[in-house]
Parts: sequence; C-alpha cells; structure tokens
Amino acid sequence: MSLSTIDRTDSRTPVSRLSRFFDPDTLSLFASADGSGVVAGQGLVDGNEVVAFATDPTVQGGAMGRDGCARIVHAIESAVRMSCPVIGIWHSGGARLQEGVASLDGVGRVFAATVRASGRVPQISLVLGAAAGGAAYGPALTDLVITGPDAKVFVTGPDVVRSVTGEECTADSLGGPEVHSTRSGVVHLACDTDDAAFDRTRAITALLADQGSIGHVAERELGDLLPENPRRAYDVRPLVAGLLDDEVVELHPKWARNIVTALGRLGGRTVGVVANNPLRRGGCLDALSAEKASRFVRMCDSFGIPLVVLVDVPGYLPGVGQEWEGVVRRGAKLLYAFSECTVPRVTVVTRKAYGGAYIAMNARCLGATAVYAWPTAQLAVMGAEAAVGILHRRQLAEVPAQRRPDVMAELAEEHVRTVGGIDRAVELGVVDAVVTPATTRGAVAAALADAVAAARVDKNVHGNIPL
Amino acid sequence: MSEEVRAEMVANVWKVVVGVGDSVAAGDALVILDSMKMEIPVISEEGGTVASIAVNEGDVVQDGDLIAVVDS
Repeated sequence: MSLSTIDRTDSRTPVSRLSRFFDPDTLSLFASADGSGVVAGQGLVDGNEVVAFATDPTVQGGAMGRDGCARIVHAIESAVRMSCPVIGIWHSGGARLQEGVASLDGVGRVFAATVRASGRVPQISLVLGAAAGGAAYGPALTDLVITGPDAKVFVTGPDVVRSVTGEECTADSLGGPEVHSTRSGVVHLACDTDDAAFDRTRAITALLADQGSIGHVAERELGDLLPENPRRAYDVRPLVAGLLDDEVVELHPKWARNIVTALGRLGGRTVGVVANNPLRRGGCLDALSAEKASRFVRMCDSFGIPLVVLVDVPGYLPGVGQEWEGVVRRGAKLLYAFSECTVPRVTVVTRKAYGGAYIAMNARCLGATAVYAWPTAQLAVMGAEAAVGILHRRQLAEVPAQRRPDVMAELAEEHVRTVGGIDRAVELGVVDAVVTPATTRGAVAAALADAVAAARVDKNVHGNIPL
Repeated sequence: MSEEVRAEMVANVWKVVVGVGDSVAAGDALVILDSMKMEIPVISEEGGTVASIAVNEGDVVQDGDLIAVVDS
C-alpha cells in the first residue's frame, strides 16, 4: 500500500511510530492498517533488516483483540524466519473487553510466540504509553524493555487497585518509568523523551543485529581510572567506557547498581560487559545484582555476544536482609548462567576477587575462556587480614592490644607468602597471565578473537527467560 | 527539589566530608562509609546545596537510612 495515503498527523499511530523507528523511507508494511489495532512491517535500522510491530492507541486505546494479536504472532514468526530482531512498540490498555475470552486467547498466543522465539532472535520492547495487563507481560517476556516518559507498565491499573483493595496509588507509582527502572527491574532503560527512547532502541538493535568482528584495538591506559588507595571504592563505569570502543549502552543503570551490565563494541565487535561497581554496596554481589547479571549473561549467550567480566568484588553482601531476599537462590543463577555459557568470555581481575564471589564472577573453574589479572590483583578466600584474624585468633588474643596491628600485619604478610599471591594463581592455572592496565584492551580482544576463530560462536543455545 | 541521600548498605560512618550550606556537584562525596573493609563514598546524585546531614562520624547506618539532604 502507499504510505502517502495514511494520516500522519497523529504521531501516535503505528505507521508514524514505525516510520520514526526505521531508517527513512525503508518501512514496508506486512498489511495495511485496519481495525485490528496492530500494524507490523519490516524495514532497516542502520542498514540492518528488522521486523517491528506497533499497537494502535488511537483504536480502542490500543486494546488487544484476536486479530491484532495474530498480527503480532505473525511479525514474531516472520522475524524468526528472517533471523532478524523484532521490535514491539507498545501502547495498549490490555485485552479487548468486548471480545471476552477470545482476546485473552489471542494475548496468550502472543506470549507463547514470544517464548518460542526467545533466544533465537533478539526481541526488544519500546513502551511509549500504557502497557497494562496482557500488554505488560508482552514486553516483559522479551529480552529488553525501553521506555519513553509516558510509559506505564502494570498488571492492574490504579482504579481497580483502589476498588479491590482500597490501596491509594497512581498510574505512575504503580508502573511509571521511575518505578520500573529503580525498583522492579522491569525496564532496562528509561528515557526522558520519546526521541531518546527511539534513538536508544535503534542503537541497541544495531548492536544486536550487526555484531561485526574484532578488528584493530588501540591500547589505553586504564590504570588511572582506579584510585591509588586500594581500600577506596570508585565508580567502575569510566573503566567500562575505557575498555569499550566508544558508545556504551548501560542496561539497568539505576537498578542493582552494584553490578554494571553494558553493551558496546571492542575492536568493532559487539560485546557484553559485566562489572562489579565498588561505588555501590562496595561492589558486593547480592541477590538482585546476581539476578541482573544472570539475565544479561544468558541474553548475550543466546545471541552469540562474547562477554568481558571486570572483577573487583569483596564478596557476597552479608546479612539477614540478603539471606531473606534469597541471595542463595538468586546467587545460584549467576553460577548457572556463567557455567552454561558457550560464548567466549574473558575475565579481568582488576583489584580483588574474594570468596564465593570470586567463583561467581566467571572464574576459570566455571569455564572462562581466559582469566587475566592486573599486577596488584588479589585472589583469595578473603582478605589476608581477615584470614589471619580467623587462623590466628588465639595468638592474636594473647598479644597486648597496642601491638596487635603490627602482629596482624606481620601475620598477614606471612599468610600471603604461604598461600601465594598472584604468582601462585598463575601457577595453578586459575589466572592465565598478569596483564598491565595499559595492555588490557589488546589482551582481551586477542583472547576473544582466538576463541571466536577456534569455535564458531553458537547462537540459539537456549531461550532467555526473564529471570 | 531536594534529594534525600540514603545509605545503600549497613556501614560505619567513617568521615563526614561536607557541611551544611556547602555546595556540591553531582558525584561529589558527602560522607565516606566504612564497610566490607572498604572506604565507600556516598555521593550526591544531583548537584546543589547541602541542606542537612543526618549522621555523625562513628554512627552505624542501616540500608536505607537517611545520610543527608541536598537542595538543588
């Protein structure tokens, strides 16, 4: 059909939103816009073929009926046949009440199609208005959820909540971008404007669709990005940016901030980065950060995106709160995610890797492709002083209080000598090599390039359940 | 607009590095906590003026406790 006959005055219509998403003049519709409330088509994003669909808020508030849902299922199945990403632009009040259970059946078919395609092609959701009920779970089942400022994602709207339980709430407090990007973790990226949301969705789509191959990597002095004082916490994000070529797309930047998950390119190739962030909770692993990282690792593994893991972790966050939040159950997901990984994954220990968290951050024992350590890195069950505090508890108790720090320091030094520092880790083979901060980019890129050359990066190894 | 800066973990307050009335930029440390054998700065997310500080050096703070209020 000719696009020129369509009313473009309403910027919320599917055609206008799809045109805005794709490269100019590349949208080709699968079927003309009708009363189904969904329009789908294909086009280009930075020259890459991509399928997209959009719900129509100008038809019954975007409510989803059986026909519209069939359109979405068709779009997803087309993307799988074409092996390309599928993007859903959501603005919908949920299932069409008038259609009764037929609409529920349709919505359920969208869910099932999304799951069938999970891990096979990237699925990204851009939410620009309400996405309620069934329209909330549509995006939630996909790999990534990006929102504009007017997004509202919830299972039950404020009016129903009020009448059923009496709880006072607003659409924003239930499911606005702030809530989902800081508390629930539903949203990977909350954008301040629709323009920014379109831009970010396009950038991520391009990173996933055109992964490229590793080319020349210029070295950078990354050591300056850590504080001189080894006890001082710092923001790891400049280090992540320093490792990657230029653009960094951080996912979940305001949720579970003690771990950073980001997509970018290294030597031109798309990679995923997982990094402890000492500025937040000391960089400890905890229930939420482990879960956040697990889902990211599994997404990258699904789509053949190699991983770089930057480690500076003092351990798991201790305490009643964490145990009750399920740090055992959720922490186990990260062990599972890394162990199951088939993509090349290179670990760099920048400062410390202690205890169970050492293992969870893609240690050699979980199957890391390569493990590098900076010259001052420490790999241990715990810090030397904490270790001697336990191992020599009685001896230390007998020492007069004023002499205790000195004795402690001596014992700690001896402890490091016996259990071994970084040299011992290299000897054991749990660290492949000590690399300087200034040669890290090249070392990581070379290890990834070798691994990619040795074994084709497997795609479609598993689905990407929204952990 | 005022920003309530809260502790993100159980910790000891090691140093208070700003005073009421000081102006701070986004990312500036307000206090430094001691936890997990580390010095962990608590930063202001937005720039502004320190309106109040809710902790003293040596205090123990719990996850979620108020550290300071910054007016922007």
